[in-house]
Order: sequence, then structure tokens, then C-alpha cells
Amino acid sequence: MAAEVLVFNLLSAVAIVAAAAMITMRNPIHSAIALVVTFVNVAAIFVMLRAEFLAAVQIIVYTGAVLVLILFVLMLVNQDDLPEFHGAKPLQQVFGFGLGIVLLIEIGAAILTRTVVAEPGPWDEQGIAQAGGHIQSIGQVLYSGYVLPIQATAFVLLLATIGALFLGRPDEDEEPTPTRRPVATISLAHTRGADDAPLPQLQAANVKHEAGDRDLIMARDADEFTSIPGEDDEQKERSE
Amino acid sequence: MDANLLSSYIFAVVVLNVLLGLMAYMTYFERKVMAAMQDRVGPNRTGPVGLLQPIADGIKLLTKEDIIPKHADRRIFLLAPLLSFVLAPVAAAVIPFGDSINVFGHEVNLYVADINVAALYFLAIGSMGVYGIILGGYASANRYSLLGGLRSAAQVISYEIILGLSLIGVFILSGSLSLVEIVSQQSETLNLGPLQLPNWFILSQPLAFVIFLIAAVAETNRAPFDLPEAETELIGGFHTEYSGFRFSFFFLAEYISMIIISLFAATIFLGGTDGPIRDGVWWLAIKAAIFLFFYIWLRTTVPRFRYDQLMGLAWKVLLPLVLINILLTGFIRLWGLGML
Repeated sequence: MAAEVLVFNLLSAVAIVAAAAMITMRNPIHSAIALVVTFVNVAAIFVMLRAEFLAAVQIIVYTGAVLVLILFVLMLVNQDDLPEFHGAKPLQQVFGFGLGIVLLIEIGAAILTRTVVAEPGPWDEQGIAQAGGHIQSIGQVLYSGYVLPIQATAFVLLLATIGALFLGRPDEDEEPTPTRRPVATISLAHTRGADDAPLPQLQAANVKHEAGDRDLIMARDADEFTSIPGEDDEQKERSE
Repeated sequence: MDANLLSSYIFAVVVLNVLLGLMAYMTYFERKVMAAMQDRVGPNRTGPVGLLQPIADGIKLLTKEDIIPKHADRRIFLLAPLLSFVLAPVAAAVIPFGDSINVFGHEVNLYVADINVAALYFLAIGSMGVYGIILGGYASANRYSLLGGLRSAAQVISYEIILGLSLIGVFILSGSLSLVEIVSQQSETLNLGPLQLPNWFILSQPLAFVIFLIAAVAETNRAPFDLPEAETELIGGFHTEYSGFRFSFFFLAEYISMIIISLFAATIFLGGTDGPIRDGVWWLAIKAAIFLFFYIWLRTTVPRFRYDQLMGLAWKVLLPLVLINILLTGFIRLWGLGML
């Protein structure tokens, strides 16, 4: 028994320290890691309470959520702005402090007016054994008595998914993608010996309509589509 | 102390050490198989037929300089490989390696823990494992590393959903999340008229099995889904800046994850320790070895996916398929129970 109390104290101490660190860390990534530590410790406490299903779900759901949080930080917050990100404005400080006090009062009232040990629910060891185990009994409760809330939650999540799809769809008015524009391939190949005096018929027919969807533009001479900065001036000088 | 608990701890130590040893020789196995497929010889200089090569590699990695980039987020940079490495073997705790055996008059169970949510525990550990990669990628202060980490996060989140959903069909049929229970159900015989088959879930859930296999390859970041470390695009991805034993930790974690997910697949879909003659841990080993060979086979034959193809495959092909599989399995189960 004593060992269990010791482990529980250790887990809750780490969870509380990590929760405090989550708020005080200056770097949002460090905060997110502290949050994960808190969640994992809470999951371990669930395991001690023999709620293995809850512990596993806690880790799967919340670690995934915090991962997305880290992604948001990495992609949306510029690393150079981080000190400003924490720069507290006086109004924000006062408002945050006030909200914190309200929360503390609420928690205190909840603890003082009720006993910490809640009323035992309708499920006891026998009922759980009859249902075939913890998961089976959770399943029974969720999908018989709480079908409507579950369906409502599922519906909300579905709406969120559809909303994300709607926001992320490609814009109709957008410029047509390059594949829809006429595309031509420029060929730098040219008839050998035509360098000195480009043949007139070659010039006339320098755009070939290929069988495919791309036109082929033949270069008149080897340097038609290449230019080196400054070289034109030199050539001019030379010709003059 | 409780004798059962003590034997569990001892067995955990045994499993951990066997896994680490196997992991070293997994690299040897991979290099030899790849060499054979590519018409090369493979490692053959260190020891007889190169058998000491993994040990030489380990010593080399341990003695290399441990470089920390100047602008790296130092604490996280040091933590990330440890996180990957510590979490990888933890998932092996729920895999049953056989029935209990008798050692010095004590019944010793051949699993570390039989928890009633074993499969969920396995998925939870898997979802924790990605933190090592993304934190390593972020902390390196290198754009290639960060890109590798971001890719890995998106990939693992997508494929974890597929991995979890592909198992639901098995859970519906077995009615349990405990791997010990799932294995014991698979050792029964399935009578199909004149045919007598083992009741392995690969026979009743073939679609789920294929999807699980694809998602498992993506979940362990292996070719052709190794985009987080795509050498041609990202140098080395998330582990570009790592060297010495910290690099080897990432490396070890990847191979241990491969071994464990192979063991898991063998347990869930191929009946675990169940075999045609003399059930035992050797059958599990053979089945896992087939999966490991399949991993290497994929790596040598299939080119790497493009990133949008990878995401498209997960969300547009695998997710609908796996949902259909769940629906069908549910209806068939109800019909089998006579409730439809």
C-alpha cells in the first residue's frame, strides 16, 4: 500500500511541476513537451486506478493533439517573434490574473462543498465481471444509454471535417494552372551549318506543331534563347 | 515481492536484451538480403561471412564524436534520440511469446503483461514514438531536419488512424483487446466443410491484413514510405545533424520498431505462436522473420512515394477501404450471432 501511495505522490508531483512548467516556459515547444509530460503522468495515475482503457485513450488522443499543437507552433509562430509572443500587455495580465482567481475559487468551492470521494456509480465489480470486462461495460454504456450524445459528437466532428475540406478546396477564380496554358517546348537544336546565315524557310517554319499537345519551337541559332549578361554590349562594340 | 510480478520483471529484461541483440543482426540480415537482391556480396570482411559486422558498426558509432550544432535547442536535441530509443522496445511488453512454462517449480508466463487493452497500449506507444522524430527535427535548427520532422508528423498521424481502424475488424471478431485472448482464439480450428484451417485472422480479415501491412510500413518510416529521411530530397531528414551514438539511437529505434510491429502483425493476423506442429515461440519467430524479409524486399524493389501520393493513398484509398471493412465485418458478425 505504502509503495502505491509513494508512486501516486511521485506521479502527481511530476504532473503538477510539468503543468507549471507548461505555463512558465518561454519557448512554446518546451511548453508543449511539458504538457505531454503532464498527460502521460495523468495516464499513469489512471493505470493505478485500474482504468487502463482511459489511460490508453488519454495517451492516444492527447499526445496526438499536442503533436498537432507543436506543428501549429512550428508553422505559424515565427521563431524570431517568440520573446514578443510572451510579451505580456498589462490588460492581458490583469484579465488573466482575474480569470485564474475565478478558477481557483470555483475549484475550492467544488472541493469544500462536496467530499472529494464521489458517490459510487451504478457499476460495481460484479456488474463489470458480468459484462465481460471494463471495455465491454464501457461499450455497453456508451452505445445504449449515451447513443444520442455520441451521435451528436460524431456529427460535430463530421461538420468540422467538412468545414476543413471546404476551406482547403482550390479556389475557382484562381489563375488556370500552368498545365492549362498553351505549352511549348523550346528546342535548341538547329540545322548544322545554318549558324552563319539562317535559312529563311527555317525561320518561317520554326514553330512545329507536334502530334502531342505541345508545340516545338526550333531555335534559329544556337544562342537564340540564351543570353549572358554583358555579352551583347561586347558584341555590339565588336561589330562597330 | 509477488512471485508473478518478479517473473514478469525477469522476463521483461530477457525480452529487452533479446530484442537489442536481434536488432543488431537485423541490420546484418538486411544488408545480406539486399546484397543478394542487388547481385552484390554484402558484408563479408569482419568475422566469418561478416558475422561480426554489426558489432563493429556498434563500436564505431559509440566511439564517434557527438556533435551538437551551435544553434540547436540543446536540451531537446539531447532528449529526442533517447525518447525514440526508450519508447521503441516498450511496446513489446504486451506480445505473448507462448504459453506459460515451468521454471524451477514456478509457472512463468511468456509475456511481460496481459493487460486488457493491449492493442490500444501498442497504438499509444506508437503515437508517442513520433515525438522523438519531430523534436529531433525541430531541435537541430536545420531546415532539412525540420522538413523531415514535419513530414513524419503528418505521415504518422495519417497512418496511425489507418493502423488503428484496420485492427477493429479483428476486435469485432475476437471480442477482446487482449493479445493473449486474441492468440488463444486463433489456435482454434476453422471448419469449412471438408477443409480444416487454423482460425487465423488473416483468413477472415484479408483486407484488414493488407491495409495493416501498408500502414505498418508507413508507421515505421520505412521505404517506400521513408519520406522523413528521403536522402535525395532532405539529405538525411530529421537525423541530418545527429552523429555518433545519438544517431545510432534513432537507427536502433527504427529497427526495433520494425521487429516489434512484425511480431505484432504475426500475433494479430497469423496466430502468433500457433503452428501446424508443436506450437511455440519458434513459429512466432518464423512469421515475424517473413514480415521482416517483406520489409527489406519492399525497400529493394519499390521506389519512394511522392509526398502527395503518400497522403492521397492514406486518405482517399485506405481510409474508405478500412471503413467498408469495419462495416462489413460488423454486419457479418451480427448475422453470425443471429442478431440480424
